[in-house]
Amino acid sequence: MQSKTSFFNLALFKKNISRTWIVGLLYFIILLILIPIMLIMDLANFDQDIYGKGYTKTLLLLNHIAYIPTSMWGITIAIIVTAITFWYLFFKRDNYMMHSFPVSRKSLYFTGVISSITVTIVPVILIACITSIVAAVEKAYAFDAIWFWALTVCVSTLLFIGIAMFSLMASGQIVTSIVFYLIFNYLFLMMEVAFKIAAGILMFGMSDAMSTITYTPFTPVCFIGENCLVNVLESYDSMGNVKSFTYTLPGMKYLIIYAIVAVVFITVSYILYTHKKLETVQDFIAVPFLKPVFTIGMSFFISMVAGALVAGMIDALKLQYYNTRYAIAIVSTLIIGCIIFYATQMLIEKTFRVFSSKKFGFLIGYSLAAFAVLLCMRFDVFKVEDKVPAADDIAWVGIASDYTMVFSNPEDINSVRELHSNFLADKKELRDVNRLFDDVDGSIFTIKYKLKNGKLVNRTYSVVDTNSDKVSATYLAACEPIVDYLNNPTRIKEHVIGNIWDDCNVTSLQFSQYIYSEKDNDYFANFADFDDLKESEQIEKNNRIYAAFLKDIDDGNIFTTTFGDTYNNKELQKIQLFNDFSFTIKSDNTPYFSDEQAYWDWQNENEEPSYQQDIYAQLTTNCKHTLKALKDEGFYTEDSELVTNYEYNKVMGYDESEDAIYE
Amino acid sequence: MIEVNNVTKRFGDFVALDGLNMHVERGAIYGLVGPNGAGKSTIIRHLSGVYKQDEGTVTIDGQPVYENEKLKQRFTVIPDEIFYFTQANTMDMMKFYKSMYPKFDEALFKKILACFPEINPKKMVRSLSKGMQKQVAFMLSIAARPELMILDEPVDGLDPVMRRQIWSLIMSDVAEHGLTVLVSSHNLRELEDVCDHVGIMNHGKLLIERSLDELQTSITKIQLAFEGDMPSLPPEVQVLKKITTGRVHTLIVKGEPRVAEQTISALNPLLMDVLPLTLEEIFIYELGGENYAVKDIIF
Repeated sequence: MQSKTSFFNLALFKKNISRTWIVGLLYFIILLILIPIMLIMDLANFDQDIYGKGYTKTLLLLNHIAYIPTSMWGITIAIIVTAITFWYLFFKRDNYMMHSFPVSRKSLYFTGVISSITVTIVPVILIACITSIVAAVEKAYAFDAIWFWALTVCVSTLLFIGIAMFSLMASGQIVTSIVFYLIFNYLFLMMEVAFKIAAGILMFGMSDAMSTITYTPFTPVCFIGENCLVNVLESYDSMGNVKSFTYTLPGMKYLIIYAIVAVVFITVSYILYTHKKLETVQDFIAVPFLKPVFTIGMSFFISMVAGALVAGMIDALKLQYYNTRYAIAIVSTLIIGCIIFYATQMLIEKTFRVFSSKKFGFLIGYSLAAFAVLLCMRFDVFKVEDKVPAADDIAWVGIASDYTMVFSNPEDINSVRELHSNFLADKKELRDVNRLFDDVDGSIFTIKYKLKNGKLVNRTYSVVDTNSDKVSATYLAACEPIVDYLNNPTRIKEHVIGNIWDDCNVTSLQFSQYIYSEKDNDYFANFADFDDLKESEQIEKNNRIYAAFLKDIDDGNIFTTTFGDTYNNKELQKIQLFNDFSFTIKSDNTPYFSDEQAYWDWQNENEEPSYQQDIYAQLTTNCKHTLKALKDEGFYTEDSELVTNYEYNKVMGYDESEDAIYE
Repeated sequence: MIEVNNVTKRFGDFVALDGLNMHVERGAIYGLVGPNGAGKSTIIRHLSGVYKQDEGTVTIDGQPVYENEKLKQRFTVIPDEIFYFTQANTMDMMKFYKSMYPKFDEALFKKILACFPEINPKKMVRSLSKGMQKQVAFMLSIAARPELMILDEPVDGLDPVMRRQIWSLIMSDVAEHGLTVLVSSHNLRELEDVCDHVGIMNHGKLLIERSLDELQTSITKIQLAFEGDMPSLPPEVQVLKKITTGRVHTLIVKGEPRVAEQTISALNPLLMDVLPLTLEEIFIYELGGENYAVKDIIF
């Protein structure tokens, strides 16, 4: 009868600790320097004259803790310590000897895990204790933040130890185990990236898919670092002094879930260990069921990305029709998939002799499945290309073309949704727009939906100049409503100039005159100043030009969108002025809302709201109202001081290309 | 003590053990012989609880070995390549063994250690010579007071002096405590002087398993000379091989030597000598009719 065995063996524990304590000590020293010692140094030099009034030692402590990495330490230390502890699993001699001792696998496993946890977590606890003592001495009372940090590191370390154990059990080679560890930790993110790279190249409107990648709980190393750390909220007055501050300790529910997941990983790894055949030492994969998973996963994801890249490269060399591009991608994916499939088999079985009828049958099955997935993408079975989020789910929608506009009111949101749906209805023609109208200037435009749940839906489309007479009626029917919507004068004023367009003064305005010097064969810029005028008089002068500028907007002379190429269009260069024109608007009552900042998520919640904004405009000779006002107000005197891009390039001998203009 | 019944072990498509049966009695010194790749180390890893068989049973004293912590406390294993912890010296390893084996005799260990003054107990074991590492392994094993010692190629690669020292260590323990020893080797000559039971393995199977006494009493080498031609031998004398050089005939006879001697004496030979056979010769004649590469196994 088999005896009952203990899960812990003190001799093994001592043996494990004797091999890993040095790593734990090093970890402790690093944490000691990064946290209490740096904190002590910061506190020793604490001076409100430097930090600003209202900045307390507690706030300093909180900011110190908030910027200490959490999961990055855990992911590194976990694999180092567990790999050293279970080193014997990867070398035949060590493996056989350890398992011939009178000790059960249960003891070997759990003693190893307990010693790994001890070495990785004890330093964190000690650091939290030392930091608490420092905080108490300095009267920086935020002990909960210190211990929350410690909890986060401990839980993430436990999770990574679980994943490390699973990785160590999955392979018979130490290097492969470490590679598996990285793969498992970043698996979800890598799968998402692979899908999005392929979708970005192949699917209509998805070229910007990579920009919507966000860290999910399935990639804990990234997610914990962003969502489970001390969050300090400060508010400042106009002098830069701290008015008040508070802090939150978010992500506790995730830590609980991760702790449970860690236990699951450790348990599953134990089951793998009890069933592990020790003859698999030095095998690429030691767990039978992982062999097909690894083969299919590697073959599918690598070939999908590679196939899409092949199609993308051929398309870059010579524009292809959408269906041709997709066919190239499918064929490439299937061929590369076969190569990866057999290469993976060779890795797993450590032989070149992997060509058997059984494996060939498996390959055929896999290839058919991969083909089905690519067809699903091609025919948009999951309605990714056609996705227009429900109005109720949308926080705001933005359109970025020549200019960026963000709409958050329901009426505008519905209008954009309708325009987008109308556009998608003609996608069969629109996805080949560059190929069909390859001699028409084109650009791209993007529609971005920010959903109320924080997710983004981002679609980018290639488009060509709607003013061209070479484009089809179908194309115009799809794109002109969007262009018309963007070119609405009121919308331009509200979203390109900004929400304070009708409640502001122009506090400064610059216009460059260009005077040609034959001697130097160059233009020299000159800016008229009106320093002799009072500030109020200057503002009145600027406001008059601004009023004329608004008239030009009403007449459709400025800030309009055509979907054409505004940089390389020769006809446009003949009317675009090389003269710089910019002004600053300021409201006394209304904070400025920047569509650009909102669209690109540049806003900083802690910043004081701004009441002014600089506006830059590329004037054209069509801006009659503005040019007349500038002349009337004395910003230039002679029409010869107005130089078009075309004239400038011609005189300077530059090519009429984008590079020449902006050199 | 050891019972291996119909054990099969496959590594992928390769069959390492093919329905192996092996039986080792308590107190025996059992030599397991076979060429490289015969499956000796594989069966030893089953007996050590390292491998789990695909089919069959592996028991020691009636208990399955695999994952049997209590049972494994009663025997020690010395593999062909010995593993010591990094940085551990002899005394560290002694402490580890002491914590693993309840019957570990520290005093005995120190006594044996004193017999090997060339071994510095404070030096890392891994930095000792291969021979010294083996000596340490035997010291640790013997001090663990096992009932069974499993040795895989224990003296392979050691010089004759070192081999003698190691065997004398084992033999003295066998004599004093009735230790059972299972020892593997790819060279039969290595085991000839120490084993009382021998098993020969090839291709994952045991070709033959006998006690040395049984073997030695089952085949006899007799040298004869007659005045004229050699007369016909009675049918009860089973001659396995006959070699004639001039008037001298050398017979390999199967059966009890004394009976063969008496029967042949009745033919009045001029000369009759009953000679001892080496273990090698016994196995050659035992297996000679079989289609096995016997010479490869034992030479």
